Amino acid sequence: MMAVAIVVTILSLASQPAIAGLRSSSFVQARRSVAKATGAAAQGAQAPVGEPASLGGCPADILAFYKCALDKAKTFNPPRMASGKPDLQGYWRSRLTLAFSVEGVSETEPLTRDPVTPWIVGPGEIVDPPDRKIPYQPWAAEIGRKGQNFQKYIDARTACGSGGVPRVVHQGPHQILQREDYLVWLFEDHQVYRIIATNGQPHIGKDIKLWEGDAVGRWEGNTLVIDVTNVNGHNWLDDAGNFHTDAAHLVERLTMIDPDTIHYEITLEDPKVFTRPWTMAWPLTREAPGFELLEEACQEGEHDMPKFLKLGFTYYFGAPWRSR
Amino acid sequence: MTHRFIGWPIAAAAVAAAFSLAPIPAAGQAAAGPAQAYSPPRTSDGRPDLSGIWQALNTAAWDIQDHHAQLGAPAGQGVVEGNEIPYQPWAAAKKQENLRNRLTADPDTKCYMPGVPRITYMPYPFQIFQTPNYAVILHEYLRVMRIVYTDGTPHLAGSIDSFWMGDSRGRWEDNTLVVDTIHFNDETWFDKAGNFHSEALHVIERYTLVGPDHINYEVTIEDPKVFTRPWKMSMPLYRRKEPRARILEYECYAYLQEAQRGR
Repeated sequence: MMAVAIVVTILSLASQPAIAGLRSSSFVQARRSVAKATGAAAQGAQAPVGEPASLGGCPADILAFYKCALDKAKTFNPPRMASGKPDLQGYWRSRLTLAFSVEGVSETEPLTRDPVTPWIVGPGEIVDPPDRKIPYQPWAAEIGRKGQNFQKYIDARTACGSGGVPRVVHQGPHQILQREDYLVWLFEDHQVYRIIATNGQPHIGKDIKLWEGDAVGRWEGNTLVIDVTNVNGHNWLDDAGNFHTDAAHLVERLTMIDPDTIHYEITLEDPKVFTRPWTMAWPLTREAPGFELLEEACQEGEHDMPKFLKLGFTYYFGAPWRSR
Repeated sequence: MTHRFIGWPIAAAAVAAAFSLAPIPAAGQAAAGPAQAYSPPRTSDGRPDLSGIWQALNTAAWDIQDHHAQLGAPAGQGVVEGNEIPYQPWAAAKKQENLRNRLTADPDTKCYMPGVPRITYMPYPFQIFQTPNYAVILHEYLRVMRIVYTDGTPHLAGSIDSFWMGDSRGRWEDNTLVVDTIHFNDETWFDKAGNFHSEALHVIERYTLVGPDHINYEVTIEDPKVFTRPWKMSMPLYRRKEPRARILEYECYAYLQEAQRGR
């Protein structure tokens, strides 16, 4: 019988603006992934400390990984289910991702010197557009990017809500289980699950809005394409308050590039917020045998919300874009 | 707070139409014959396939014992075999105290996870997703997910009394999935009537398909700190039959937060 190796995750709360005396606890992702960069920018240089040097034979830098992975996917023959479809099952963890801002964190960012939860320098998860910035419409740029959202509102994930898609994918370990009719994706971060229907069923009616949205999956060759609609727009994309509305349409693509590595990609479009679709990508790597997901009881242990409210923060629920 | 359940009796009528209500033995009685004639569809590893969307259809969420109606809550026959919960004397008094204070003392009023088996008979659907090594139960209510390991691994080692939903390991006995759950905390109740347990709780659930759309669900409760002996609950679980049945979301605490927003 295999020894059961338990990885104990520590409840993580997103950081909020620099208000003296009130901080939330550290990021799990920060501890696991990247040590503070020193000297030259982490961009494209070498694998950050704590990350594997190579991911499925591709470089440990998001942009380089993205290009390499698309190439490897053309020739890799994945393990298969009895049906012949690729078998994506197992325990996985995102690599190279940072929770702070999908646009990356520069050395001049003041929060890199935060005494409790320092932000970590890194290039971010965006691979398109080429400038690696979210293509916001002008009104939206001052709401995201540590703007209005970050300064006035409580991140829904801090309030024990789900991180939503795709943030929940890079906050902690997850598990994929697969049948012909459904694929379920279980996330330890705040106990979130996603059910992806691969049985051809249509999306639910447009008036039902959900935190995880409604996910319909299909196979294109060896790639699982997940079409996500019906999101409620109540979550942020990262700690900086980057966001989308309930009009967002997300398309994820999962492709194994070697037995222990999945290339994960997501394209986001939202005609109310963005000027064009944009794409993020990163690797998922397989956990060691014996891994299990543990219960994370966020709401049951949450005691900080009254403090946030007293300081004048408000629960988010999409207020800035709903009131437009 | 009972506001979340106002209107449930009306909703129940509509929901009942979505269930398959073929006659099967009533809860609390001899609900499962030892050898069912039904031969279920099987997964690739030869086990009965419990997969699908299921829901309990009774009033156990309010009170697992016989009870008459009150405003916002229907009457119901209990799901406890013999209708008696064998509390130790101190615990019987504690239950009465819980009952008196239930509007604030019930952890469900704070949208905390309901524990086992209360999550099963909350009036929300759940989806069982079964593969050879896992039977995962995904609940619409509070996005609770129960991962039942059927891969032969043992319970987590050590004295752990902190899980709201426990640590579940399953095995098959003929056509019955037997789920053994321990490592609970003492914070959940069995219903809104104040029935409770300690961290020594040990729950054994038995899931048996007795027809294409019915699971016979039996639960044995053991807790030597609270009860004088083990006791049982049982009830049918009904398959949701709508052609495009789905579980959605009930993010309870988010609705509490929204209500607070104007403060």
